[in-house]
Amino acid sequence: MERTDSILRILKINYASSQDSPDDFSWRPVLQVFGNLDDDAISNVGENSRAVLLYMVLDKDNSNSIFNMATQARENARGVQDNITVEMWKCLNGFYHVVRDDRLIYALQHGDPITVLDSLIKECMLYFGITDITMFRGEGLCFMNVGKYIERAIQSAEILDIKLNSLSYDLDKPTDTAYWKYLLMSISGYSLYLKKYQSGFEARNIIDQVLFDVNFPRSVLYSLHHLDLYFERLRDDKNAEGFSKVHFSIGKLKSKVQYSNVQSVSNVGLHDYLTEITTEIDEIGSTLNQYYFAYS
Amino acid sequence: MKAAELFHKYPLTDNTWDEMYNEESVRLHYQNVYETLSNIPADELIKKEELAKSLFMSQGITFTVYSSGEGIEKIFPFDIIPRIITGSEWSFIEKGIKQRLLALNLFLKDVYHQQFILKDGIVPVDLIYSCPHYLREMQGVNVPHDIYIHIAGIDLIRDNDGTFYVLEDNLRTPSGVSYMIENREITKRIFPDLLPQNHVRPVTQYPNILYKNLMALSHRQVSSPNVVMLTPGIFNSAYFEHTTLARLMGIELVEGRDLVVENQKVYMKTTAGLQQVDVIYRRVDDEFLDPLVFNPDSVLGVSGVLSAYRKGNVAIVNAVGNGVADDKAIYVYVPEMIRYYLNEEPILKNVPTYQLGKADERDHVLKNISKMVVKKTNGSGGYGMLMGHAATDQEINDYKQEILKDPRQFIAQPVISLSNAPCYVNGKVQPRRIDLRPFALYGPDGIEIVPGGLTRVALKEGSLVVNSSQGGGSKDTWVLAE
Repeated sequence: MERTDSILRILKINYASSQDSPDDFSWRPVLQVFGNLDDDAISNVGENSRAVLLYMVLDKDNSNSIFNMATQARENARGVQDNITVEMWKCLNGFYHVVRDDRLIYALQHGDPITVLDSLIKECMLYFGITDITMFRGEGLCFMNVGKYIERAIQSAEILDIKLNSLSYDLDKPTDTAYWKYLLMSISGYSLYLKKYQSGFEARNIIDQVLFDVNFPRSVLYSLHHLDLYFERLRDDKNAEGFSKVHFSIGKLKSKVQYSNVQSVSNVGLHDYLTEITTEIDEIGSTLNQYYFAYS
Repeated sequence: MKAAELFHKYPLTDNTWDEMYNEESVRLHYQNVYETLSNIPADELIKKEELAKSLFMSQGITFTVYSSGEGIEKIFPFDIIPRIITGSEWSFIEKGIKQRLLALNLFLKDVYHQQFILKDGIVPVDLIYSCPHYLREMQGVNVPHDIYIHIAGIDLIRDNDGTFYVLEDNLRTPSGVSYMIENREITKRIFPDLLPQNHVRPVTQYPNILYKNLMALSHRQVSSPNVVMLTPGIFNSAYFEHTTLARLMGIELVEGRDLVVENQKVYMKTTAGLQQVDVIYRRVDDEFLDPLVFNPDSVLGVSGVLSAYRKGNVAIVNAVGNGVADDKAIYVYVPEMIRYYLNEEPILKNVPTYQLGKADERDHVLKNISKMVVKKTNGSGGYGMLMGHAATDQEINDYKQEILKDPRQFIAQPVISLSNAPCYVNGKVQPRRIDLRPFALYGPDGIEIVPGGLTRVALKEGSLVVNSSQGGGSKDTWVLAE
């Protein structure tokens, strides 16, 4: 669900920007991160906003399409109905039926895409709200949040990496303000940026906010803090070995990010650094799986 | 029924420029929009109009009318058919406004310093000193970068042959720019993909340019100057615009009571104590800005802010005292100013204007009053004006009495028939009168005009008054890439 929400927001903002300045806009980065199309296929649909939206929202062959993710989320919820509240189940089930509705296809093809995306985002927000307000503060919620923050940290790191990639990681390369504006808007960080950095748009400030700002709910560091927080609550003597392994790697990664800054990161190489982060988060995810869910 | 039929019944008005049609066919730059609209089923258009209304409501783009005790939320009427300006028309407008603004800014600097233009007899001295917006308090005050008019909203209209005329210069606190930005967002929603198809130039950069200019005005050598926006408060009809701009620029929105002046420096009250303010973008009129200097009964402003301004400790945007340059009696002399200061011929024309302060012109106007529009020189918002062709004898007589009490306060212009543009009103496409207010930003790097503006529409049939307070609405304004 975290990924669904994030993708929807990115689609919305990218669509809006495609309406604004068609000449220097491309869907390519979005398709590269979230799609599983090869280069030729991207070139084929890349310039057609509607085709991209249909692919990203409804395509059954795209494992990251909203359709598939909503279906997956509902299936997962069905399997653990005893551990979640009935409100939450209804919410996910409702979302599933929304994305299966034929009117959605029609609206995406002929209507106003933003209205469609807004209605889907609303479903996601409903989910977050219902989870927050109804879920028992126990193991179930902790696992959910651990998953949520793992996903969020990866998302933020990847989005940043893609944007920097198109600048060839040259932080001094002059860019159009719209370029960064849409990145920030798609992670709800635009207002914060304007308030915090008063000197216009600069790659270094953007990196600072997306990686290191502890008060920005989508920054990598914020996600890692919360990952740590919720994982800490899962401490249990019965699985002491698994806990200490995962706890160790979360702590290690957290300090790594906490004690870096834009300067030190650029010395290492931004791309390498971001890849290291995502790989380590992935590893945390699989260790967690191994010790907590594999039963072997 | 397709919407095409709606266009077939579109009546052309004689002797009036129509933005969409020339004598026999649709103008080239409207072709694409015309075809798109014609292929939409008529009931779909009604849905689009409803969508637009509900978007304005849900985004809170409303103003509140307090007439009946409790507030009623209203939206500023929005017409769904865009107004289109070609690339070449725009570059002409752009050049014209830049020239005019440059001259007006030089005029303000001159009037508040050496007054060459008065000494050379180009503009009559008595006209300046009788103007209520000329502020002696500003005499000899140096403003940062010599810029007085940071933001201008010069109103343009088109005569029956399509020539652009300047109707008035709004150089004090012109409003409406948030509608330029929001109308565009609404068009994106109701006509998906139509904007990129037509290569419409974007307007979203406005807040960024304004913010850059505001930052550049700070007198202190600090890396992040403190810029605030001063609003009269939530009861102001333009409060929505104030919040939107403040949010888009990421600056604090303050009211008079949030600021305090000490030792000729302005401070903002914050939870962490006082914080010095470097630049104030104010949406409060001159006369309410500082109760110590101007209106002592007003609490909208900040006591002592003018002393801080004169001392150079704070920048105020737009500068104080600009009203002397957009006074309707001074307007007559703008073409002369352009020749005097820039040694250039004016690009944009003035509407012929009679000053009722001059005896011979007054006689002429009073004789021909049925063909005239008479306005107060310091009025705005379409209040207190007389439309000669539409007024009753009684109204004319009453107005004449008013004029004779103080002729200096009035000017008259022949009725100019504003251009028409197609509007979607009550399920039909009908011609309505429009004007155009582009927003120009004057910063240390020069003048920038965002390609677009606010097109205001007189929604009443046959009406020539576009002001929102008189039942006007607005349209999204497109400037096409060349």
